[in-house]
Amino acid sequence: MNLKHRNNVSVMGNGMATLVFSHGFGCNQAMWNYLAPAFVDRFRVVMYDLVGAGLSDLSAFDKAKYGTLDGYAQDLNEIIEAFAVGPVILVGHSVSAMIGTLADRQAPGRIAAHVMIGPSPRYIDDVDYTGGFKRSDIDDLLDTLDSNYLGWSSAMAPVIMGAPGQPALSDELRESFCRTEPDIAKQFARVTFLSDNRQDVIGLTAPVLILQSSDDLIAPLAVGEYLHRVLPNSTYCLVDNVGHCPHMSAPQACAAAMQRFLAPWAITDVG
Amino acid sequence: MSVDLFDNAACALAVTAEDGTILQANARFSEWLGLSSAELCGRRFQDLLTMGGRIFHQTHLAPMLRLRGSVTEVKLDMLHHDGHKVTVLLNGNKREQADAVVYDLALFGTTDRDKYERELLNARNLAEALLQEKTATEIALQQAQAQLSEAYAIAQRRALFAEQMVAIVSHDLKNPLTAIRMASDFLKRGERTTKEHQLLGHIAQSSERAHRMIADLLDFTQARVGHGITIKAAPLDLHAVIARAVDELRLAFPKATLEHQAQGHGDACLDADRVQQIIGNLVANSVAYGEPLQPITITSRLGDTSCEVAVHNHGAVIAQTLLASLFEPMTRGTDQGSGVRSVGLGLYIVRELARVHGGDVAVSSCAINGTTFTVKF
Repeated sequence: MNLKHRNNVSVMGNGMATLVFSHGFGCNQAMWNYLAPAFVDRFRVVMYDLVGAGLSDLSAFDKAKYGTLDGYAQDLNEIIEAFAVGPVILVGHSVSAMIGTLADRQAPGRIAAHVMIGPSPRYIDDVDYTGGFKRSDIDDLLDTLDSNYLGWSSAMAPVIMGAPGQPALSDELRESFCRTEPDIAKQFARVTFLSDNRQDVIGLTAPVLILQSSDDLIAPLAVGEYLHRVLPNSTYCLVDNVGHCPHMSAPQACAAAMQRFLAPWAITDVG
Repeated sequence: MSVDLFDNAACALAVTAEDGTILQANARFSEWLGLSSAELCGRRFQDLLTMGGRIFHQTHLAPMLRLRGSVTEVKLDMLHHDGHKVTVLLNGNKREQADAVVYDLALFGTTDRDKYERELLNARNLAEALLQEKTATEIALQQAQAQLSEAYAIAQRRALFAEQMVAIVSHDLKNPLTAIRMASDFLKRGERTTKEHQLLGHIAQSSERAHRMIADLLDFTQARVGHGITIKAAPLDLHAVIARAVDELRLAFPKATLEHQAQGHGDACLDADRVQQIIGNLVANSVAYGEPLQPITITSRLGDTSCEVAVHNHGAVIAQTLLASLFEPMTRGTDQGSGVRSVGLGLYIVRELARVHGGDVAVSSCAINGTTFTVKF
């Protein structure tokens, strides 16, 4: 299988350690455009599109495999295996923070550290747990997804599917941003927002940087604080930002926090 | 003038900061949501949406506006001040100002269109559900068919095994039976009491019957699992052959009245033994199922182009439903059998023998004329 084609993998930068950027629900790797360039001088940078998103190979979308986040975690480990050099730090936005957690549990020790941007181990409220959402909110989201193809139609599908992997952010990638085949988008929404990864997070031993927006509907403060509590090896960093994408709307603050956290791995060349 | 244009536009207009805070909203916007301009300013646009819309805004809309600078035709449900939903289509544009970035938003009411689109969506969902159902049914059908053909193959193997076993057993039974017949013949030659003669007669008759059954079974297995029944056809005098056969049958069925009618003249080229066997089977059948007090008539008919033999008896009519399967193996005319009944292969073998001679057998049965089996060669 051609991973580069399946996940539209791009590799940039130079360094002794690798940053793997994994985007969240709704978008593609283009969302890293504001943050990733800050690291290419000291790290090898790997970005990819989750299967079903961006310019990934839509024909690789297997309903059963991607019926849980484990399928995505499996892909992530394959990408790490094929493209990473040296220690791996996973930078995961939103649901990808949990995909990274699952990948870590599948192959313990392979991921040296996690940067979690707006993470949430469970979106729906539970006994003694505040996720921020009710089940009916998620159904409402599925309804909204149903009404919005965002310009996606079956006519443009072949263009997306046939596109070869592009290393840099192309117009095509920009064009495909937030556009997903409706059925795939709905399944991913279900898998994302109905998942419960609280048990997977407990026992994660690798160092974790939690980047928490000060005002985030999707991952409220209580959730970031919860994660900081259950992850003993975690650093909690509150970023002054409105919205769920601080890496897009407050990239400097995010980069600064990450530079501090990543210092132990930021060696360019020993020679 | 431009303020008028802004406020009276036929769509709702708003300008927001990068984080969604409403900086300016027109009168239409206020009217649609039941909030005054003062109430709107300072609130975030996304907070006016339903929860689904707010998640969508965070995961799709906001990143898209930032990265691509515009969104078009996004359908959202907004919440009126009194709680009811207002469905709108949103276009948004990023505008760089000297000190900040703002978003210009235009909203169009789309309630009726939304209803229509939902109907389309429902229809599509229904079609997809039906397709899924159909696919599932097809898979189930395929599985059932596979199971059926497997069961059929197993049944075939079992049937073949059973038929082969019948062939072996009937062949092996021939020898002890021959020994019994020879021994009883030998015993007959000595001086016997009347009772002993009677008993020897029973032995002879019973072993004769057993012999016929075994002959039937052997023919049956040869027809079914072997290479078919073989014949040795030669020119013969059909009337004489039938007369001789009827004579012998009179000995075998002493209680029955057998009459032979010879009709016409001509040549026939048949296997004499097999013709005798046909008559034997048909007469045995008539004795078993016919009216015992009425005669059984055996007719041999010779013509210019063909020849035939027929066996007629009076008695109960063969049911119409039975006629179709009468010549299949293991079929019997009635459950009320007599002691002469065979294993149910007699008529099957008659048909096979007729066919191997290039002919066939037919039956007619009615209350007035009785039952007639006719074999045309």
